[in-house]
Amino acid sequence: MTIRNTTDRWGAFAQLLHWVIVVLIIVQVTLASLADDLPLGMKKLALLARHKSFGITILALAVIRLLWRWMNPTPPLPDNLKPYERMLASFTHAALYILLFAMPLSGWTMSSARGFPVSWFGFIQLPDLVPKNKPLYDALLLTHQTLAWALYTIVALHVLAALKHHFMLKDNVLRRMLPFTKTR
Amino acid sequence: MHALKHGPRGAAVLLTLLSVAAFADTPAGATRFSSDPAKSSLEFAFAQAGAQNKGKFTKFPVTLEASGGGTTPTRLEVTVDMTTFDSGDKERDDTLRGPDLFDVKKFTQAHFVATQIARTASGFDAFGKLTIRNVTRDQHVPFTLRTATEQGHAVAYIAGRTTLHRLDFGVGQGEWKSTEWVGNDVTVSYSVRLVAAQ
Repeated sequence: MTIRNTTDRWGAFAQLLHWVIVVLIIVQVTLASLADDLPLGMKKLALLARHKSFGITILALAVIRLLWRWMNPTPPLPDNLKPYERMLASFTHAALYILLFAMPLSGWTMSSARGFPVSWFGFIQLPDLVPKNKPLYDALLLTHQTLAWALYTIVALHVLAALKHHFMLKDNVLRRMLPFTKTR
Repeated sequence: MHALKHGPRGAAVLLTLLSVAAFADTPAGATRFSSDPAKSSLEFAFAQAGAQNKGKFTKFPVTLEASGGGTTPTRLEVTVDMTTFDSGDKERDDTLRGPDLFDVKKFTQAHFVATQIARTASGFDAFGKLTIRNVTRDQHVPFTLRTATEQGHAVAYIAGRTTLHRLDFGVGQGEWKSTEWVGNDVTVSYSVRLVAAQ
């Protein structure tokens, strides 16, 4: 497997970015749901500090991922897909990219609006994107939560589609994103 | 004069009391300034998971005594009404006011008084006693001083910042004793406009 993408499969770097982001999203959902049930205390601060740091990490990885996508060929979809399936695939992928930016940015802005600035693992304090503003915070919290549900829906579609390609259409679409597998 | 009835010893006690009283009052030739709350601020910042969180107190009367027409400060006193704490977030305010941190129900005031004020390269350094949560520690309070006459009133502006360690004063009981997510260092910034007593 090459580092760069080829015309029939994703390269090692694109795969690494994809799967690292998958793991980080699972971590994010876990941290957020653990923190949601707690009153403000040391444990909640710790969970949310990590949630913010991982969120900023995802934002940075999303930037790299988008740049890498532009710099590399994108393996095309199989020829036998129906037009609506192609449209659905494009929509799902575009939505995933948008959410990879929108989730961290809404979270970062909402932290600024509440007056709890964001630090990346205690190494760097990020600038506040907006001044402290309670109504804006409330709106952004709702946005962040709504986007999270949108993400769950789109991820479910994405996973179901990958499984359909693999088990029903029996093509290479899932296999070409997996390391250690050969494409047919 | 109750003390005089007790002869020379009683008179000595009275004299001592009188001289203490004289010192507590503004010495002759000194000007006593009191803060103008509308044009004064007392803010602090601390690191929470590596990010600076800020708060302020809105009621903190300050008095400054200075001789030489207000140019030589001799005494600085600050009383902070801890209940006026505000960080702009109700949940954080409630937590900080709570028993493990400021415990404002029990310790309604913090207090600083200094009678040793040294001149420094950039202004002055008041060395005195700071009391928070009934714990008293030595504290340096450096400040710059500018005096002016505004509409016939003598005014003084003091400003500066200092650092203290919250755990020295017990601000952080239980889980808050840990400095992993909430730092021990607290930066206090002040900018106060004071007006001379008539």
